[in-house]
Amino acid sequence: MRPENYETQRQPPSHEYELNIGPNHPGIEGNYAFKLRLHGDEVIEGRADAGYLHRGFEKLMEGRLWIQNLAITPRICVPDPVPMEISYCLAVEDLCGLEVPERAKWLRVLQAELSRLAAHLFTFGGHAATTGMYTPMFWGMADRDLILDLFEELCGGRVYHIYNIPGGVRRDMPPGFIERVSNTIDYLESRLPDYDNLMFRNRVFVKRARGVGVISQQHALDWAVTGPNLRATGLAFDVRRDDPYLVYDQLDFDIVTEDAGDAWARALVRRKELFESIKIIRQVLAKLPEIEGPIRCPIPNPLAWNVPAGSTYVRMESSKGELAWYVVSNGGEKPYRTHVRGPSQMHAVQVLEKLSVGCRIEDVAQIMFSLDACPPEVDR
Amino acid sequence: MSRIDPNDKGSILAPLKNLQFFGRKAVTESLDPRPASANYRGFHLNDWEACIGCSTCQKVCDNAAITMAEVPGLPEDPEKGVRNLRPAIDYGRCCWCALCVDLCPTGSISLSREYVHTCTDPELDSYFVLPDSSGIHGVAYDKGWAKHAESDMVALERTDMPELAPEARIGNFDEIVDGYDRNQGIIEASRCVQCGMCHDACPTHMNAPEYIRAIWQDDIEEAVRQIYRTNPFAHTCGRVCTHRCETACSVGHRGEPIAIRWLKRFAMDQLSHERVKQIAAEGRQSSPSGQRIAIIGAGPAGLTAAYDLAMQGHAVKVFEAMGAAGGMTRYGIPYYRLPADKLDNDVDVITSLGVEIQYDTRVGTDVTMEQLRDDYDAVLIAVGLWMGRSTRVRGADAEGVHRAVELLRKVADGESIPVPKRAVIIGGGNVAMDIARTLARLQKRKHGQVAITLTALEDIDHFLADPDEIREAREEGVEILDARGPQEVMLDGQGRATGLRTLKVLSIFDGQGRFAPKFDDADELVHDGDMVVEAIGQAADVNLLGEALTEELEWQRGRLRVDEQLRTSADWLWAAGDMVRGPDVVSAVADGHRAAASIHDHLMISEQAA
Amino acid sequence: MTKGKELSTWLDKVLSELEGIEFRRKSSRRLRVDVAADALPALLELLRGRASYVHLSAISCVDWPDDGAFELVYHVWSYELQSLVSAHTRIPREPGVYISVYDIYTPAAFFERDIHEMFGVYFEGSPDMSKFILTEWDGPPPMRKDFDSEAWVNDHFDWQDYNPEWLKEIVAQGGGIAIRPDEQRFSRK
Repeated sequence: MRPENYETQRQPPSHEYELNIGPNHPGIEGNYAFKLRLHGDEVIEGRADAGYLHRGFEKLMEGRLWIQNLAITPRICVPDPVPMEISYCLAVEDLCGLEVPERAKWLRVLQAELSRLAAHLFTFGGHAATTGMYTPMFWGMADRDLILDLFEELCGGRVYHIYNIPGGVRRDMPPGFIERVSNTIDYLESRLPDYDNLMFRNRVFVKRARGVGVISQQHALDWAVTGPNLRATGLAFDVRRDDPYLVYDQLDFDIVTEDAGDAWARALVRRKELFESIKIIRQVLAKLPEIEGPIRCPIPNPLAWNVPAGSTYVRMESSKGELAWYVVSNGGEKPYRTHVRGPSQMHAVQVLEKLSVGCRIEDVAQIMFSLDACPPEVDR
Repeated sequence: MSRIDPNDKGSILAPLKNLQFFGRKAVTESLDPRPASANYRGFHLNDWEACIGCSTCQKVCDNAAITMAEVPGLPEDPEKGVRNLRPAIDYGRCCWCALCVDLCPTGSISLSREYVHTCTDPELDSYFVLPDSSGIHGVAYDKGWAKHAESDMVALERTDMPELAPEARIGNFDEIVDGYDRNQGIIEASRCVQCGMCHDACPTHMNAPEYIRAIWQDDIEEAVRQIYRTNPFAHTCGRVCTHRCETACSVGHRGEPIAIRWLKRFAMDQLSHERVKQIAAEGRQSSPSGQRIAIIGAGPAGLTAAYDLAMQGHAVKVFEAMGAAGGMTRYGIPYYRLPADKLDNDVDVITSLGVEIQYDTRVGTDVTMEQLRDDYDAVLIAVGLWMGRSTRVRGADAEGVHRAVELLRKVADGESIPVPKRAVIIGGGNVAMDIARTLARLQKRKHGQVAITLTALEDIDHFLADPDEIREAREEGVEILDARGPQEVMLDGQGRATGLRTLKVLSIFDGQGRFAPKFDDADELVHDGDMVVEAIGQAADVNLLGEALTEELEWQRGRLRVDEQLRTSADWLWAAGDMVRGPDVVSAVADGHRAAASIHDHLMISEQAA
Repeated sequence: MTKGKELSTWLDKVLSELEGIEFRRKSSRRLRVDVAADALPALLELLRGRASYVHLSAISCVDWPDDGAFELVYHVWSYELQSLVSAHTRIPREPGVYISVYDIYTPAAFFERDIHEMFGVYFEGSPDMSKFILTEWDGPPPMRKDFDSEAWVNDHFDWQDYNPEWLKEIVAQGGGIAIRPDEQRFSRK
């Protein structure tokens, strides 16, 4: 079956054939097709094909009140929803000049790092599964579930938290929450050696992942690769440190890098970032009891809220890389324009198309998952 | 982490390490069913006792998942701000964001701690739910996400209204309330959730949601346009309206209602008088109808009718016994509440439409009803309630005993009245407050101090006066004694009043709800005062009708009997305002509209017939 | 970071000398530049080639039908200076054609393709202007302000009709649906 938008100039020669991977397949966290031209089991050309998820969120947001968009934002990236919420709120706060209380900022960091843990565990599982190893998949999902339990307690929702609102967060932590987070991250830390043994000291995984989908640092810069994928090429860049937001400038954490630039290095960067996130969460947990005060600043009645005219570009480091929102207000009660720049827009399209050329068919899925691309970010 | 070397070939025995997992708890074990977390956003619960059907949840719902359903049998009371509508949720659209919970004015909606609902019937009908407090499956789960101070998004606090301090206002008749400035007005308007309870509660059904929203959008002209659609006494009602809208306001259920009256005043004060006149005249019928209407009494009812009829192209002439227009709003309400120039503005808007007012003309003496009947196509009588009622206790006709309305009229007219050293007021309504506070000002001027005792039958929670009035009267030094029944005016040797004797009230009404006060004879007080003022109600002076007409018309409990359209039993005569409705400015305005509509219909029908 | 400071001062100086450019520092890390459409590629080349802004973070498009213009915003980041420049330019809404900056920034290919698909702006010289997300869509570019997606949805889809027992009961008692959600979508007002 030939996809509609596959525009071949000529009839393929008989030794070439086409293969449509997707839209449902093991290589990615959502519906997303990847159309290959193959010679034997070698990829000659890959074409990314999005559109299976498209919900027109940017357009929808133009038709909703500023506050109503809160429910849309986390849905733009399901595995890592928190940065979407926070960055939208940061944009609105910037336009309105709202002063977010200190406590809310720390609570936001707590969520963002918990969400990063959950997202990385998810990606681990997926990445390992593409090499035929399903135990990390089960472990990753089960351990991620412990974090979703925490989110359920904090936000009232497991996946779509809708917890941040412009001006702060909606509720303070429930009693005993710090202790429970602390227990969970202690447990997760105790699990890290298991992951190391299971994946990074596992000959199968090492063999499959090393040297696959190599990105050089120069290519990474040219193709606007960000996040763990960029750091796996040896460039220590992280929005949290280099363009700090919330209270990341007050936190002590390392920017993890690897030099190889292959699927292995990308997985390893994520593995090490798990530990960095745990470190950050410990600092936040230690700090939170010291910060008294409100969790949000007063905001107008949501039904009568005009945001001053202007535009802002807000960036955050999501688990997948540089996440940005360009938000324009014309002074009205709805956004005039919102533009989401998800890191996967680069990783899942141009980068993937380039990396897949010359690789073998069984590595395509692994390359995709090692880039940690999130289709809803492309297909927003 | 321990170092990871990709070239590490590892031990061939490494897999043996995995044997340890036999001794560890599995990570992917099944869980028993459990309730969700204490904050969980599950399925809707709605406390029908608390829900008022305001449909704010429907407005804030991102996904248009909420339908308002009318449930027969539930209470419906516009004056209290209660509708028999309840939200029904379409779980095919709901996204469980809980904004409906956070913006619910009453806090009736919450979400349960229940995880799962799935459709069992083929028509998906079980996805459309009318939640009550019993839970989606009738199984009691606790509330999860519910109204909480942290997440509440209803703006409960009213923007403070700046006003003169008691010391600054007591010696003069300056207006007390400053009014909002532009910023305050917009902020106050922004609190509104646009439920329209105010519109339903208002006697003249003002488009309050529309003008409040226009104020919020900083479109004052539109606000004034919306105000004039239903109320030409805009300045007056913006200051002294009994604001039933605020009683019904849905935000008022847990917080302070929107200051709807002050917002109306704000809009009117912001716009130049000339522009108000232009806006008020928009949509006026340009060609004269040729019909002539006489209106007796230039008060709110009469002039509102005059405004409507003039807008429809009729020629209107108003006969007013006093020297200025406004009726009770001018001669009954003190200037510190309603400055004369604001009332003049309202009147000027109406006269600028061509309404002619003939002052100092008392119908019945200067011109008779019969003349009006013969000279005009229709006559509206709206003379208000100008005769103060008496308690008729012993000594009530003595020297030094006065009726509040008469004193207030004299003060407004610039006549001098005796200013007592000590005064006792009988009555707990707004007129009682007005005379108490007027006398307090005069006392302050003449004697340097306030000495006024106000006694009323009702206990303080059931006073008819506005709570603001009671508070302000107290601030100005008026002593208020509730639940005291007047028994006798104490007299001196010359037959002049020296005070009032009262008894403690045990109950006001009997078992059948009839007025039959019972007193505690043991609890007796005598309040000294060289003036006693009765402010217990007013009656209409209907002598102007003349004997023949009085005989001809139908009466009901001392008032002219009118039908729904305010027609009297004579086909040329309508009656409106306080004289048929009881004292209230905005009800009088509503009456004016109704009478005008009825007269207009009548004239149009007779024109067609002719 | 003295080198960064020098470069940043140099950039301010250069920008202030260029004609037809307005620039405003919103913060130490955010610089807004307004530039004429014909001068934008040169500005981007300067930013990338001489001032270390090698990372094209995004290209945003905003439709301003009342002004008859599309606003294109190029967000570029310098790893060295740790600063983000947002270069704003406007092009006429008709015919909605502009020059690709693919030769300066490779990632532009994705953003330009996206904008072409959603707004109908054609970028001359962009490597691929074929459909991507809206493969089977042949209506107008949907992100344009004059495309009313809600009206389109209402034209093409029905609201789910429900008739549960509770509704039948209250209808039998004289009640029923009073306000449908589409009658009171607040954001539609």
